Amino acid sequence: MRVPRPPLPGCAAVHDDLTELALGILTGRERSEVLAHVEGCEPCAAELEELAATADLVLQLAPEAEPPVGFELRLIQRLHAGGTARRRIGPPRAVRSAVAALLALVVGFGTAWLAHAPTSSPSASSSAGLTSAALTSKGRSLGEVYLSAGKPAWLFMAIDSGADSELVRCEVTLADGKVVTVGWFHLSGGYGAWGAPLPGVSGQVRTARVLTERGTVLASARLVA
Amino acid sequence: MIRNSAPDGVSDEALLSGMAVGDDRAGVAFVRRFQRRVFGLALGIVGDPGLAEDVAQEALIRVWRHSQVFDARRGSVTSWVLTITRNLAIDALRVRRSVPVDPDDLVWMDLTSSEHQPEEEVLHSDAVGRVQTALRDLPLEQRRAVVLATMYGRTAIEIAELESIPVGTAKGRIRLGLAKLRSMVSAEEAQ
Repeated sequence: MRVPRPPLPGCAAVHDDLTELALGILTGRERSEVLAHVEGCEPCAAELEELAATADLVLQLAPEAEPPVGFELRLIQRLHAGGTARRRIGPPRAVRSAVAALLALVVGFGTAWLAHAPTSSPSASSSAGLTSAALTSKGRSLGEVYLSAGKPAWLFMAIDSGADSELVRCEVTLADGKVVTVGWFHLSGGYGAWGAPLPGVSGQVRTARVLTERGTVLASARLVA
Repeated sequence: MIRNSAPDGVSDEALLSGMAVGDDRAGVAFVRRFQRRVFGLALGIVGDPGLAEDVAQEALIRVWRHSQVFDARRGSVTSWVLTITRNLAIDALRVRRSVPVDPDDLVWMDLTSSEHQPEEEVLHSDAVGRVQTALRDLPLEQRRAVVLATMYGRTAIEIAELESIPVGTAKGRIRLGLAKLRSMVSAEEAQ
């Protein structure tokens, strides 16, 4: 237990503001004055610390919520694109490394495969049960698609089509020619990252396509080496 | 201080250390551990899922980029991450909205209502559970002032306007409310 020390001259003047400083809601001259006092006053600094610790506990009462699908992938891409900028063409090595780490955690695979993953080639690269391929349109790379062969299998993709915000769907073509819609996701300003499980069909997927609601193909990828 | 007790046995601090030296796997593990809490807090403050995602992503990016400056002596990783999130959410809210938060529409007023829900408390650490109980025991006007200041970053002047009370009264409610929380949490800790 801390032994309280006698207050210094000036403590009474700032005492009432310590709470607001601890909560981060004190501004301007008052904030400067209180900070200057706390700097040289051990009892007030200790009280400020205790009040701030209590406020931190209140903050931890916030209920958890499930982020939207693709949250992690978008975050990692933003991280390596400079925070807010969006990449336009194939991801840099750093992105591939982080995405590999993400995939490794999600589907339980290693990361070595991405060290040699293509950035713009339309052909697929496959290693350790993971296949990646560029999502292209008219020869231009708009993103990448990743297919894991785990149980359950997963399909991930990130695309930057440069188009407006819209709802799009992902469909895959299987070895027998059957076309299956895997899911829908939103592009925001042409950009979207999304993933979904592929129960029972991963070994049969030959191509993946992203289409608008009207059926226009925005990009496609061949997932066969 | 609250320490992480993750089932994988890797502490929050260890993950931050890994991120600081460029270990992407540590970073992704950290994101996966915190994203629900960060997004939940952001969503609770801004109320819009799209904006909450922007806030949550920016918060986690800042944590990732500044992982090397985290100082464990100044608080827990959870507090650090949530404080960054709260500040970004408040900034986003101030940019987006000119209309102040409706005090009757506070997400956390339900969470901290006077009706005890014992089953919720097991979800939190001991210290957080104690502060939740203590918050519920505060008079309504003090609880509201503490929630507005803590979660929404509302200043005493703003709370005074929202509640139609003098600034001095708003300051008093904030001060008394947090002081009571601190003493109630300390008293239970000492028992």
